[in-house]
Amino acid sequence: MSAKSKGLSSVGKKLINGLTGLGLVFFVIVHLGGNLTLFSSNPDLFNSYAKKLHDLGFLLYAAEIGLLAVFIFHIVSAISVYMSKRKARAYGYHMKGNAGGASRKSISSVSMIYTGIILMAFIIWHVISLKFGPGIDQGYTTVLKGETARDLHKLVYEYFANPFNVSVYVIVMVLLGFHLRHGFWSAFQSLGANHPKYTPVINTTGYILAIVLAAGFLLIPIWIFINTGGGV
Amino acid sequence: MPENNLNLTLHVWRQNGQGSKGKMVEYKADDISTDMSFLEMLDVVNESLIKDGEDPIAFDSDCREGICGTCGMVIDGVAHGPERATTVCQLHMRHFNNGDKIYIEPFRAKGFPVIKDLVVDRTSFDNIIKAGGYISANTGSAPDANEILIPKDVADRAMDSAACIGCGACVAACPNASASLFTSAKISHLAVLPQGKPESQSRVVSMVQQMDSEGFGSCSNHGECEAVCPKEISISNIARMRREYFKALVGK
Amino acid sequence: MAIDANIPSGSLDEKWTKYKSNVKLVSPANKRKYNVIVVGTGLAGASASASLAELGYNIKTFCIQDSPRRAHSVAAQGGINAAKNYQNDGDSIWRLFYDTIKGGDYRSREANVHRLSEISANIIDQCTAQGVPFAREYSGLLANRSFGGVQVSRTFYARGQTGQQLLLGAYSALMRQVNTGKVDLFANREMLDLVVIDGKARGIVCRNLLTGEIESYSADAVILATGGYGNVFYLSTNGQNSNVTAAWRCYKKGAYFANPCFTQIHPTCIPVSGDYQSKLTLMSEGLRNDGRAWVPKSGDDKRPPSEIPDEDRDYYLERKYPAFGNLVPRDIASRAAKAVCDEGRGVGETGLSVYLDFKTAIERQGEDVIRDRYGNLFDMYERITGENPYNVPMRIYPAVHYCMGGLWVDYGLMSNVPGLFVLGEANFSDHGANRLGASALMQGLADGYFVIPYTIGEYLAGAELKEVSTENSEFSQSENEVTNKINRLFDIKGDKTVAEFHRELGRLVWEYVGMSRSKEGLNKAIDEISKLRDEFWNNLKIPGDQNMFNKYLEMAGRVADFFELAEVMARDALEREESCGGHFREDHQTPEGEALRDDENYTHVSLWEYNGKDKPNFKKEDLNFENVTPTTRSYK
Repeated sequence: MSAKSKGLSSVGKKLINGLTGLGLVFFVIVHLGGNLTLFSSNPDLFNSYAKKLHDLGFLLYAAEIGLLAVFIFHIVSAISVYMSKRKARAYGYHMKGNAGGASRKSISSVSMIYTGIILMAFIIWHVISLKFGPGIDQGYTTVLKGETARDLHKLVYEYFANPFNVSVYVIVMVLLGFHLRHGFWSAFQSLGANHPKYTPVINTTGYILAIVLAAGFLLIPIWIFINTGGGV
Repeated sequence: MPENNLNLTLHVWRQNGQGSKGKMVEYKADDISTDMSFLEMLDVVNESLIKDGEDPIAFDSDCREGICGTCGMVIDGVAHGPERATTVCQLHMRHFNNGDKIYIEPFRAKGFPVIKDLVVDRTSFDNIIKAGGYISANTGSAPDANEILIPKDVADRAMDSAACIGCGACVAACPNASASLFTSAKISHLAVLPQGKPESQSRVVSMVQQMDSEGFGSCSNHGECEAVCPKEISISNIARMRREYFKALVGK
Repeated sequence: MAIDANIPSGSLDEKWTKYKSNVKLVSPANKRKYNVIVVGTGLAGASASASLAELGYNIKTFCIQDSPRRAHSVAAQGGINAAKNYQNDGDSIWRLFYDTIKGGDYRSREANVHRLSEISANIIDQCTAQGVPFAREYSGLLANRSFGGVQVSRTFYARGQTGQQLLLGAYSALMRQVNTGKVDLFANREMLDLVVIDGKARGIVCRNLLTGEIESYSADAVILATGGYGNVFYLSTNGQNSNVTAAWRCYKKGAYFANPCFTQIHPTCIPVSGDYQSKLTLMSEGLRNDGRAWVPKSGDDKRPPSEIPDEDRDYYLERKYPAFGNLVPRDIASRAAKAVCDEGRGVGETGLSVYLDFKTAIERQGEDVIRDRYGNLFDMYERITGENPYNVPMRIYPAVHYCMGGLWVDYGLMSNVPGLFVLGEANFSDHGANRLGASALMQGLADGYFVIPYTIGEYLAGAELKEVSTENSEFSQSENEVTNKINRLFDIKGDKTVAEFHRELGRLVWEYVGMSRSKEGLNKAIDEISKLRDEFWNNLKIPGDQNMFNKYLEMAGRVADFFELAEVMARDALEREESCGGHFREDHQTPEGEALRDDENYTHVSLWEYNGKDKPNFKKEDLNFENVTPTTRSYK
């Protein structure tokens, strides 16, 4: 009997969810790396990073489509896991408890679907307002090495002068931290990587990553907000 | 009444079978010796219910020494109750305090329909084993046992997985009602042993498929199963099941 | 009438080989025409179902539990014997045979025991092939330990869960056959009658424990593998569901019950703590390798054990049996514990326990060594009693553990009712008056994997079996009887619960038909049991109704049968005017208080045949010892 002919099992879904999850973690790390240039007082640093990406042209589109696919697979497999859970226990317990001890059940683990959905909504908003936000045509122009380019730096700085945007970003980045706290080690577990020696290392790495990524991403808007004089 | 004895209030799930609606019902359990096991406490409560002409609380048990896997209930939200590595038949009342309110519910999952009160039907577990939880060695065909050398650590690892008693606490405790720990324990037991390797790919595919079709949820790696498991079966078994499954996917 | 066990001729070591060569065979094409019922899914039942299905027979397998994997074989801890001689320490088929015969106090059949010993090695091979994770040495070879006071290391084990692992092996083989469709599995079924047509076992009637329905199943042969009857004592190491009912209904249909008084009391169990107690937990007798049994010299000494100095302690086993000390066999250790408690020197709140002290061992070898050896057992003890045995001596007391007696079978494991086969603890065959440690698992699997596949063929090929179905009137008659009995139980509408009756019955059996027995006691027991039985049938109260899951109804039916069995046990113990193995008659002991066997008059199997009257018919199967000479066991 072949596994392939049998459609996607619950284990298959976890393999996909784990693999795409790790892919997304990689993306988020790279994304933060690029964004760190926003801390620089020189706007050209961030803008030329954005331009370099933009100049990739077809490659960028391919990467974006790939990323979108990874997102979709991640989301679909996660929702399907969630739906199976709803069906598998139609009637819940009157008294809920936690066993403690070896359990890894935590706020972070039981809220994956909620933090995930919020992150998804956030990402759509984030992409619409920044990636597909105002560009050269709307006057966000700068000159890099003699070429006209989109002044994304200006857009971002204006965007984070708004206390509402900053608050949303800060909150969502905390939720990202929670999502990663369970998601990182869980992705390894879903891919079958569990080892008495390495799993504790992976678990700690997940903790650190969650904190570093959340902190990195939420410090940017705060830093910009403070630097732009705390509001328009 | 000896001074250490307990007076307790029990909130117990009563349900007459799958068709009927259940509810939590309150009972008093008075003068309970701390040396009793939890099931003996229920025995005592039932004796007085019978005397009063009421329907005793249905629960199941057999060996009462923690190995047959028959007993099981959720006590205050935790499968098999508060003690680690302990089935409910081995849980003793000395772990409770006078005046405690105790919530007692059946293992709840679609794959474990309620038969009556705290008794659930775990045929789904037999079905999962039936789908491939064996090595196809007909009686009489075996070579001398010492012809198969098995390193001690491999045998020990197989034994760690094989220790599963099939009680279903993992399903009961899992926020997703997943049977992954149970299924993976059998898959791992057989996959690490050289005797089990020839069938390992077809085994993992059939057993996972059966697990899904029994209506259990997917695993989200909460690890609550390991924490309630009376035999402390590790979720590393679930990881192994996924590795085996992956091998089967990319294999022939 | 002499009872013929159909033992093949020839020398002892040739009998089984010759039997197998001469056995009538059922052709592969014909096997699928035969239907066989197997009741019970412990080691014997599960292994028989799987092996027969592999051969091509159509099997219907029944178990009382919700899953075959929960049969009480699962609880066996210590290990399984096999004459592999992997340790090069002089073990052989002959030595295992000899140890078993001698351990059984010369009350078992030479031919059966020799066959068991021959087969033992194949069992280990088979189980290993199935994936049973036996303990290994660093070399990767199988590990062995010595067990139960024998001189060789022949016990294979899987931690302290050997029974569980062997059962899961047999269960998985069974489930594989369920998957192929060769086995139909009926869980949650309790067999309540054997259906005999034209003198042959042709089916069973059982109750569906979930719905209460009474169901009939027909077959060409019925295999009973329903375990022992230790729960007649109410408190035992057996599971709550272990019972005699299936075997007893066969007895009432004409099958002989053999040696019912041969029950084994295990010396190292956790003592009773109160009336509510539902079960006794065994701890491996390996504990006696390092633990020293003692009680205070004076019954009035109520000091905590740590304050009792050595000179005020009586290490009674070391005193009475200087050669073997704390390692005397099970029956002797058990009786000695009872004796000191009867003298009023027992310890604990109930006065029904003795200390098993590890202080000397901990001082000599260090706590780590002891923890390494017995850590699990110490944890289990602490879980149950709340006392830490590293600091306070353990308290132990004997408990009923195994029944050597059971339905009578011939060499082919067939009872005197043709077509009714009995396997494992349910039969009487291999352990005589006392079973050696780690031999129960061996016998269950030998019967199921390697004996019944041959012997059932011999029967089926030779028997003239007419077509029967559950339409035959014998089935509806049985169904009616079963239903009437259930109705009668419900109609009593008395005041006492089944647990109360069972507890009282247990006390009587323990007191008079337990570790030591006397003529007066046994006569009194017969009298008292029958009175209590009358009260049971007039004052029982069962809750709920019969058309649903109802544990108390199940228990009532079983206790009703235990009453009848208890009486026959007492009669059997009364009839056997000697002491042997687990059967100790106070009026048959040496001046030093040791068992006094009477080979001249009692080298036989006692058989009881139901006749509808108070006293069943008594018959004998004479035992012939052609290869070993009975000697007296001495452990002084």
